[in-house]
Amino acid sequence: MTNVNILEANHVSKSYAAHKALDDVSITIPKQSIFGLLGPNGAGKTTLIRIINQIIMADQGEILINGEKLNPRHIEIIGYLPEERGLYKKMKVGEQLMYLAQLKGLSNSEAKKRIKHWLNKLGLYEWAGKKVEDLSKGMAQKIQFIATVMHEPDLLILDEPFSGFDPVNANLIKDEIFELREKGATVIFSTHRMESVEQLCDDIAMINKSQKILDGTKKEIKNAYKSHKYQVDYKGALGPLSSQFSVLDTTTLEDDYAQAVIQTEKGQNPNELLSELITKTEVHGFMEIIPSINDIFITIVEEGKS
Amino acid sequence: MKQTFLVLKREYLTRVKKKSFLIATLLIPLLFPALIFGIIYLGSRESGDIKELHVLDESGYFTDKFTDDSYSYKFVEGTKDEAIARVQEEGVYGLLHIPELDLADTSTTRYDNIGFYSETNPGPQVQGRFEGAIRKVLEDVKLEKSGLNAQVIESLKARVSLNTFNFSDSGEAKESDSGLSFAVGYVFGFLIYMFIFIYGSQIMQSVLDEKTSRIVEVIVSSVRPFQLMMGKVLGVGSVGFTQLLIWVALMVTLTTVGFNVLGPSSEMMASGMSPEAMELTGTEEQVLEVKNMLGTIPVTKIVISFLFYFIGAYLLYGALYAAVGSAVDSLQDAQQFMLPIMLPIIISIIALMMVIQDPHSNMAVWLSMIPFTSPIVMMGRLPFGVPTWQLIVSMVLLIGGFIGTIWVAGRIYRIGILMYGVKVNWKTLKIWFTMKV
Repeated sequence: MTNVNILEANHVSKSYAAHKALDDVSITIPKQSIFGLLGPNGAGKTTLIRIINQIIMADQGEILINGEKLNPRHIEIIGYLPEERGLYKKMKVGEQLMYLAQLKGLSNSEAKKRIKHWLNKLGLYEWAGKKVEDLSKGMAQKIQFIATVMHEPDLLILDEPFSGFDPVNANLIKDEIFELREKGATVIFSTHRMESVEQLCDDIAMINKSQKILDGTKKEIKNAYKSHKYQVDYKGALGPLSSQFSVLDTTTLEDDYAQAVIQTEKGQNPNELLSELITKTEVHGFMEIIPSINDIFITIVEEGKS
Repeated sequence: MKQTFLVLKREYLTRVKKKSFLIATLLIPLLFPALIFGIIYLGSRESGDIKELHVLDESGYFTDKFTDDSYSYKFVEGTKDEAIARVQEEGVYGLLHIPELDLADTSTTRYDNIGFYSETNPGPQVQGRFEGAIRKVLEDVKLEKSGLNAQVIESLKARVSLNTFNFSDSGEAKESDSGLSFAVGYVFGFLIYMFIFIYGSQIMQSVLDEKTSRIVEVIVSSVRPFQLMMGKVLGVGSVGFTQLLIWVALMVTLTTVGFNVLGPSSEMMASGMSPEAMELTGTEEQVLEVKNMLGTIPVTKIVISFLFYFIGAYLLYGALYAAVGSAVDSLQDAQQFMLPIMLPIIISIIALMMVIQDPHSNMAVWLSMIPFTSPIVMMGRLPFGVPTWQLIVSMVLLIGGFIGTIWVAGRIYRIGILMYGVKVNWKTLKIWFTMKV
């Protein structure tokens, strides 16, 4: 069976008492992609993730993993790093990882091998016999990451993965995540800090107030929300442009250099602007202004309000 | 199932491997006898202290009639006020004042103008002792006045000690020993009480630790919350069971070794006596006596029932402790929910004292049926003999009881463990209970 999507959520809803946490949310996550589940705090991201992890159950809708209805066997192919995470403080690192690995269905000998591999890889091997309370925060974070990935899950769900990680560890983890993806894993990033994962994600879904407000590939979304503005760096004066272009803003830089933001009409070829600019000034830089995911999110939320 | 076992194993091993477990397991069997002997020793010293007592006897009947050697009696003269003043001055324990009594008047048998004066209230036991002593003297005097001589009076008295018998199933009457039943009932009831408290709060602590260390969400992504809760309850329970087994093994070894060293015949060991009984004895004769007494209580029935009630009580309360641990963020917050759990346990242990005095009273029967109190109370009743149907009803109710509490606790637990910083009260628990996951 060749299923291109590792996960499909169809019309998932969930309510807590009076509060609706998820309202008819559908998402599709292609295999071996890095998927960004974005939205502000309290939007419903964690609820959706908990449903995928079978910690809670959806009131309505269904979740398919590899085309198969979500069931307890799927626990073993998911690795979950929750936003609220920790370790048993009084337990030794090695024993703790062994316990968590066995809970995910690994055999004793296999778990031993992988624990050794991962501890070596992240430079923590000599800490295996130490209690977690003796570890630094950064080390504990690495241990948590190992616990999430050591059973080689097909689907890796990371809820606010970089909150609390120092920049060095955050980079290390990013590299590991890419490596896992190369080996075939699919990664879901859930975060409210959209700029932190923007460059990582291939696909994105945005959730706001329990509803999905946007999804698609990062490229598609950015294209759809492009505002056809260009940033031009030039030297000297900029002569008046023809009426299809309007200069929105100019900034003077040092040494006679300046920068302008120019609005074009939709569907216009940037070459037209560039060829006109060449006749009017000395062009040093030319770049299309692409909105950030964060900008797009804010735009959509603002639109929704008005 | 496998997951539950893994949780159980972790809970068990992390506890049993701790040094504190080893120390507690070895020390408690030594500590308890030491404590009991200590109390007895203090108690005996207290009563061994002979207190001085002044007696102002205006009736003249009591001279040298008090035989109680806990006190030294000094008969004094003068008025009551003088005597009281002297008692205070000399720091004497108290003054017993007996005014003129008209014993010739047979129309009354009440003498309520006798007084005891002391700095502190002597307590009901001491008061009763004096009342009894005075009554005896007065009765003797009155009997003598009615024309009987001392010898006749002595021969007219009767001393009774009641021997108790139980019907066995074969219809044979067997002599029983209330004193032993009393002790056995109390010890087993108390053991259950102790284990609920110690291990119940350990479950709560364990749930709370997982919540505060924030590992719980990682765990429940691999294990259903109910499996996690049950693994925990069973794991901690196994620790308690292990401790109990070690104590039994320790007692058996110690007494066996003790016996071999002290040197009673090995036939005694071979005769299949319970070693606990041997511990109590010094000589072979006493051993035989204890053996006979043990024969009067249903030992096998008690041991099997004890295991059943021990496990049942533990499951029933363990689940509730787990639910409380899941609902709160700190031990302080747990206090408000602890009282309703502790109340039936405390009622049980108070009732146990009364039950072993009157094991077949209505209260005893009812409390030995209600699942929340039955484990402790039934242990108090069992050595005295309980009708089989009552035992079966009580056990079935207990099974129903712990299935019920586990169900309720499971529903609160699954929500509670994922809730941080929520102000929890009884209403919140009710909402969680009815919430669908």
